[in-house]
Amino acid sequence: MLLLVFISFSFRSSAKVIISGYVRDAATGEELIGANVAILETGVGTNTNTYGYYAFSLDPGFYTLVYSYVGFVSVTRLIQLGEDMSINIELEESLLELEEVTVTAEAGNANITRLETGSTQLPIQSIRKIPALLGEVDVIKAIQLLPGVSVTSEGSSGFSVRGGSSDQNLILLDEATVYNASHLMGFFSVFNNDAIKDVKLYKGDIPASSGGRLSSLLDIRMKDGNNKEFRATGGIGTISSRLTLEGPLFSEKVSFLLSGRRTYADLFLPFAKDTAVQDNSLFFYDLNGKLNWTINEKNRIFLSGYYGKDVFANDFAGMYFGNRTFSFRWNHLFSKRLFSNFTLVNSHYFYDLGTPDGSTPYFNWLSYLDDYGFKGDFIWYAAPEHTFKYGLSSFYHIIKPGMISVSDQNGNDINSELDDNRALENGLYFSGESRVSEKFSLRYGLRYSMFYNIGPATVLEYNEDYEVIDSTHYQEGEFYNMYHGLEPRLAAIYLLNDRSSIKASYSRTRQYLQMASNSSAGTPLDIWFPASPNIQPQISDQVSGGYFRNFYDNKFETSVELYYKKMTNSIDFRDHAQLMLNPRLEGELRIGEATSYGAEFFIKYDISKFSGWVSYTYSKTIRDIPEINEGIPYAAPYDKPHDLAIVFNYEASKRISLAANWIYSAGIPFTLPAGRYEILGNILPVYTGRNEYRLPDYHRLDLSLTIRGKNKPGRRWQGEWNFSVYNAYGRKNVWTLDFVQDDTDPNLTYAEMTYLFSVIPAITYNFKF
Amino acid sequence: MKGKYITYGMILFLVAIGLESCTEIVEIELDSTYRRLVVYGEITSDSVHHQVELSSSSDYFLNEPAPKVSGALVELEFDKGLITLEENDTLPGVYLTPDAFRGVPGETYRLNISHVDMDEDGEDEFYHAESTIPGGLLLDSINLTYFKTPFTSGYQVLMYALDPPSREWYNFKLWKNSDLLADTLIKYLVQSDDFFNGIYIFGLPVGFLSDEDPREALLEGDTVTLELNSIDQNYYNFVVDAQLEISGNNPLFSGPPANVRSNIKEGGQGVFTAFSIQRISCLAPPPPQ
Repeated sequence: MLLLVFISFSFRSSAKVIISGYVRDAATGEELIGANVAILETGVGTNTNTYGYYAFSLDPGFYTLVYSYVGFVSVTRLIQLGEDMSINIELEESLLELEEVTVTAEAGNANITRLETGSTQLPIQSIRKIPALLGEVDVIKAIQLLPGVSVTSEGSSGFSVRGGSSDQNLILLDEATVYNASHLMGFFSVFNNDAIKDVKLYKGDIPASSGGRLSSLLDIRMKDGNNKEFRATGGIGTISSRLTLEGPLFSEKVSFLLSGRRTYADLFLPFAKDTAVQDNSLFFYDLNGKLNWTINEKNRIFLSGYYGKDVFANDFAGMYFGNRTFSFRWNHLFSKRLFSNFTLVNSHYFYDLGTPDGSTPYFNWLSYLDDYGFKGDFIWYAAPEHTFKYGLSSFYHIIKPGMISVSDQNGNDINSELDDNRALENGLYFSGESRVSEKFSLRYGLRYSMFYNIGPATVLEYNEDYEVIDSTHYQEGEFYNMYHGLEPRLAAIYLLNDRSSIKASYSRTRQYLQMASNSSAGTPLDIWFPASPNIQPQISDQVSGGYFRNFYDNKFETSVELYYKKMTNSIDFRDHAQLMLNPRLEGELRIGEATSYGAEFFIKYDISKFSGWVSYTYSKTIRDIPEINEGIPYAAPYDKPHDLAIVFNYEASKRISLAANWIYSAGIPFTLPAGRYEILGNILPVYTGRNEYRLPDYHRLDLSLTIRGKNKPGRRWQGEWNFSVYNAYGRKNVWTLDFVQDDTDPNLTYAEMTYLFSVIPAITYNFKF
Repeated sequence: MKGKYITYGMILFLVAIGLESCTEIVEIELDSTYRRLVVYGEITSDSVHHQVELSSSSDYFLNEPAPKVSGALVELEFDKGLITLEENDTLPGVYLTPDAFRGVPGETYRLNISHVDMDEDGEDEFYHAESTIPGGLLLDSINLTYFKTPFTSGYQVLMYALDPPSREWYNFKLWKNSDLLADTLIKYLVQSDDFFNGIYIFGLPVGFLSDEDPREALLEGDTVTLELNSIDQNYYNFVVDAQLEISGNNPLFSGPPANVRSNIKEGGQGVFTAFSIQRISCLAPPPPQ
């Protein structure tokens, strides 16, 4: 690693000079992630990195540089390059009336030329246009509308990417892992859209800089804070209110962002008919904070934090759960060619339920997970055709699966806790992007991951019937088990012309931490557990390929992508597994393989006043686990052969916009009884196989109307009303299907479906000043 | 408990935003499967005529009592000998030991069932199962604590006992006077000793008697009896699985539905169990002020 840094630092191709800089939003000073920088003379292009930085090395001469970014007006610069040069560019957000004349064709074909497969970047502006449940704009709910991504259960914040489980997604908020992205049983995600700048999902070709999850990387970046002027943004909605403050501190070099959100659904509980319901607290809140300081051209630091908590309590019992993330980052330019970032992170997830402190009898159940990590990442802009990235990471995980305290009215205590899990996860990586010819480019990477279990621990040994036959105790600090392996990543692109390209990729990912959950929606009480002497790390090998084609001056971006994914050491759980507070949790696991394949069709359009996308996925995911379903392969819980989303936005005028999305998917796999029997007056089902059937198809239409206030010159206050309807035609989508024994005639059984939502209207007022 | 708590939270949220999740009966066509022999048999440490019930599985929407299986040869084998159970004259499918006897902790009981032809291929099938009566714990006392929340009120029954060092499983059944309240599978409270193995248990909640249920509501002087069954792991598994199936699917908590585990070998369903019984009582105090 040091050698690489040294080489990158000392390497200079003598004749070349460097052009580098940052691309920013002119209004806020926020760096734009993934902005396109193209040199017309050479045909070479690049994208700004996650910190808005770009660099090229070029021969001296005259060049035309075009800077572009979705939703912003492109800027063209003619330069005479004689020596190293910094050009920082500020792009103006495109207003509707300007858009048609100034957005150039070159700007729009980044999807064709970008050396990435299976990835989608969604600027927060696009996400805000999508109608949302109760008007709460939600990053995760927008992600669920993309091809290859499916929602795990109605209203849930869980998502499955290309057939993977929801714990196979690495969700990063400013580089810190978010372990549970759900609020309020999953109806809302933890991401407050006012504090978010950019969202990028990698479904297949996960960069070598990231690892630890099999299926996807969801990279969410918070805003840095406006460094030009003080701004406030907020909203008052049906169930929550938000307020974000941002602005420069002392000078343009320091800016801050503070953002808060709190729901108040429980304010309506006192009006409930049921008196038992009236005295409950039920809310969540989020706080996001960020501070960044540009020390000089070469150094910049960022401090970002998130804290969110759900509260569900009354005088007698309560449940609390939430996340906390913290990251400190230092961007340093060793030279204009060598960009680096060093990160320190901490992630924390906890839940706590029980009776209030001091009550008798007393009961408390606490569980938490802590991550402490370090990352060092380097980007070396070696030559116009070659960019290299390398780095390392190290994370220490502490998982406290459950501590129980019980005390009776006489003060007698029973305290019990499951053993902690401690582990160290290290990664080293090197990757490069090389332009082999004008039309052919490659991205290649290799990640080497290492995982250690650390004592104190008691490791149980199981026989073939999963009964404990022995145990071994390890001392505190003892490294008692190790797994390691290489994770190659490879991607190639062949440009057929400036409107079409073919891309292909292969990637191997390894996962050492997983969630003990076998339900489709997931709960706040799901715990994570590590690989161990009894659990091999999960491994996924994925190949994918796609054809990308744009039409009508890039107004239509289309793509077809195919993928095939093989997962080994795949985990499922035995029938009726007990996953909570189980000291023999590892004995509930059953290991096998999973296979997933599919075709994803995507059409994104942006024509005059109309924008949106259509995504359709055909896919299949099969699990083959010898000790489940009598060894017969079965459909994975999130297997939805057909998944369609139509996202539509119409800017009717400067002040009025309409949006709609329609979602259709095949019903999720379900297990239905084929017979029954009776024991002690109870009717019990007979099943013939797991997930043999499907629930009815799912479909839903959401609508929204946004009316913006008049934009008068000199007036800072900008307001807009948003009216939305979730499930506009009141489709009764089956959330679950139960088979019920009749209370009065115990011989009678019937099927009963539960649906969560009928038509749900909502009003939100958003403002900015 | 925690599952219900979170589900309750979700329902509360839906109430709070003016919505409620709804249920609706739906017509659904189900496949059929072959008939299985269904067994439920208990040998206990009480001195009684122990019984084994045999029936057949059926189509799911049969909507009639389960067909009984008559004419089988049902034998009970244990250290001291072999007993043939006799089918009751008036209750077809119910097989009883001819004499009352007491099951002994530590003894293994084996059930053999023959002379049945469930698949109707003209050839008899043979089913068998076995269960050992566990030693159990040292029961000390029970008492009652009054508990009142906005949702419910009533007496919590707390148990005081010494758990042995071995791994054990228990079924806690409550009686009010002479009425067995835990009279159906869903009312059984089964628990392993994972969280109190080998220690003295101070006040483990083993049941709740709600004021709202007339069968459970206590008046001063009522006798509350804890019937503690020390059960084997197979029976514990059976009850846990059965309760999960009876309580229905909830996407937040339930894994995929699955067959209830059975210890009846050669393709039977149900369970054969041998367990010891201990009982201890206390009197209901005057009503709380």
